[in-house]
Amino acid sequence: MTSTLEAPAPAADLRPRPVRRGPRNGPLILLLLGPSMLLIAAFIVLPALYSVYLSMTNTQLTGFAARDPQFVGLDNFTYLLTNGDFLSSLGQTATFTLFSAIIGQTVLGMVAAILLSRPWLRGKGVFGAAVLLPMIVPEVVASLAWASVLSNNSEGTLNRLTSLFGADSTDWLQVAPLTAIIVVNIWRGVAFAMIMFQAALEDVPAELIEAARIDGARAVQVFRHVTLPLIRGPVFLYLLLTTISTVSVFGLVYFLTQGGPGGQTRIAAIYIYERALQFSQIGIGSAASIILLVIVLVLGMVYVRLAKVEV
Amino acid sequence: MATVRTTPSTTERPKLRRRPLSPVDKLQRTLGHVLIVMLALFCLIPFAWVVLSSIDANAGPNVQWPAASFDNFVQFFTNSGTPRLLANSLIIAITATAVNLALGLAGGYALARFRFRGRRVFMFGILLIRVVPAPATIVALYLIMVNIGLSNTLIGLIIVEAAFQLPVTLWLLAGTISAVPIELEEAAWMDGNSRLQGMWRIVLPLVGPGLGAAAMLSFLNVWGDFLTPLVLLQSTDLYPLSIGLFRAFSEYNQVDWGLLAASAVVYLAPPAVLYLFVRKHLLKSSLGGAVKG
Repeated sequence: MTSTLEAPAPAADLRPRPVRRGPRNGPLILLLLGPSMLLIAAFIVLPALYSVYLSMTNTQLTGFAARDPQFVGLDNFTYLLTNGDFLSSLGQTATFTLFSAIIGQTVLGMVAAILLSRPWLRGKGVFGAAVLLPMIVPEVVASLAWASVLSNNSEGTLNRLTSLFGADSTDWLQVAPLTAIIVVNIWRGVAFAMIMFQAALEDVPAELIEAARIDGARAVQVFRHVTLPLIRGPVFLYLLLTTISTVSVFGLVYFLTQGGPGGQTRIAAIYIYERALQFSQIGIGSAASIILLVIVLVLGMVYVRLAKVEV
Repeated sequence: MATVRTTPSTTERPKLRRRPLSPVDKLQRTLGHVLIVMLALFCLIPFAWVVLSSIDANAGPNVQWPAASFDNFVQFFTNSGTPRLLANSLIIAITATAVNLALGLAGGYALARFRFRGRRVFMFGILLIRVVPAPATIVALYLIMVNIGLSNTLIGLIIVEAAFQLPVTLWLLAGTISAVPIELEEAAWMDGNSRLQGMWRIVLPLVGPGLGAAAMLSFLNVWGDFLTPLVLLQSTDLYPLSIGLFRAFSEYNQVDWGLLAASAVVYLAPPAVLYLFVRKHLLKSSLGGAVKG
C-alpha cells in the first residue's frame, strides 16, 4: 500500500482551454513535457517491455547462462504454469487479495465511513486520525509494529490479549502465517477504503435516503437498495485500486515472514523477488511478472466493466 | 438511521429531528460507538511497542512499561551508522520530490494549456501505468540500471523514484493548472512577460494546494519505499532508513530493540507531521477572488 493516498483527479477538470495553438508551440511543448516523457519511458515503460523480452530468455545473473542468454520462447511460461510452487503462490496471492483487500478493507472501511458520517457520533476527529495512522506510516514501521504484536513470545501483545481469555501462547507467524498477514494488510488499508467511501457517501443526496426511510425501509434496506447502487462507481474504482496495490504488496510480507514458513506466504511479489534476485533466474522471474501483470490487467478490465465506468 | 417509528410522539406526525430517542436509536448509537472504539483500538494497539520501546532504556521485543529515558534517541543520532540512514533517506526523498515537482510542473503546464496530438493518449497512458504492479517490473529495471551503471548509486535511485511518482504528479498538476484562469496569464503576457515568465510569476503562486498535495504524495511514497532501494542499493552506506531498519531487525541474535524502536519513530515522524500539516492547508484554496480583483 505505498500509493494509498492517490485518488485520481477528476477527468472533467482536465479539458484543455481553447488556447492558441500554433506551429511555434511545438518546441515549447517538447521542452516542457519532454523530460517527463523521457523519464517515464526510460524507467517505467522500458522495464515493462524489457521484462516481456526477458521472460522469453533463460537470462541468469550468475553462472553459464549469464554470459550468453538464449531465447527460449515460451518455455518459462510452460515451466511456471506447471510448477506447483508458482501455482500455490498465485493461489496465496488470490487468497491474500480477496480476504484482505476485497473483503476486509472494504467492509471495515465502509463501516468506518458510515459511522463517521453519522451526525450523532462523538470524537470523529480522534477516530478518523486513529484509522488513518496505519496508512500513513512507512510499511517497514508497520511491519515492525506487527512483529511485536505477533511475537511468539508469551509476552507478545496478541498472546497477552488471548491469555486474558485463557488461551495458550501461540507462534502466530508459524501457525497461521497467511491469516496473520491478511489481518496486517486489512489494518493497513482500512483508511484508504474509508477515505474513498466517505467521499462517495457525501455525494449521495440526503433526500433519497430520507424518502426511503419515510417509506418504511430499514437502515440495512436503505443501504442495500439506495446507497449502494448510488456509490457503485466509486466502490468499483476503489476495488480496482486496492486490488492493484494489494497485488503489489511486498515489504509488509517480506519483512514479517520472508515468504515462509515453508512458502506459506510466498505471494507473487515475493516469488518474483526470490526467483529473479535471490536464485538469479531472471527469465523465470520475468515470466512470473508477466503472468501477474496479465492477471491484474484482466481484473482491471472486469472491474471497469462491472462499474460501467467509461475510461 | 432509525426506521421503526414507535416514537412516543406528542404530535400526530413526529418530526424527524428533536424527537426523543427511541430504544432502537439508543441501541444503534451505543453499538456505533462500540464499533468505532474497537476499530480505533485495532488501528492503534500495534503501535504500542514502537512508541513505548523507543523511550525505554531496557527495551525488549515486547510491550512493557518503559523505564523512561531518551537514550535511544541520543544513541540514534550519535551512533556511527544510524545518522547515515536518516541522511540518506532525506537526500533520496527530498531530491526525488524536487525533481519530480520540477518536471511535473513543466509537464503539467503543457498538458493543461496546450492541445496537441497525442495528448489524450498520453494522459490515459500515464493513468494506465498505475495498473502495473511495482514488483513486476523491478527485475528488468534492475538490469537496466546495472547496464547504464546507475545501480547501487543514490543518483540512480533518485531518478527512478522521481520517475515512479511522475504519472500521479502530472495528473494532479495538469488538473490544478487547468483551474487557474488563463486570463491571469494573458494579462501577464500583455505586460510583456514571456510564457515561461508568466508560468513562473502567475501560475506557480496560484497552484499552491495542488503542488502541496503532489509534493506530499511524492515525498511519502519515496520515503516509505522499501522494494526499490532493496533491489537497487547494495552498499550499506547508501541504505535509507527502510532498508536499515529491515537489516537491523533481521539480525536475530543481536537486535538493539530500543534503538530499533527509536529509529522507527524517527522514520515515521516526517510522514506523520507532514500529513497533519498538509491536511490543514490543503483545504484552503488560494484561488478565491483572484479573478474578481
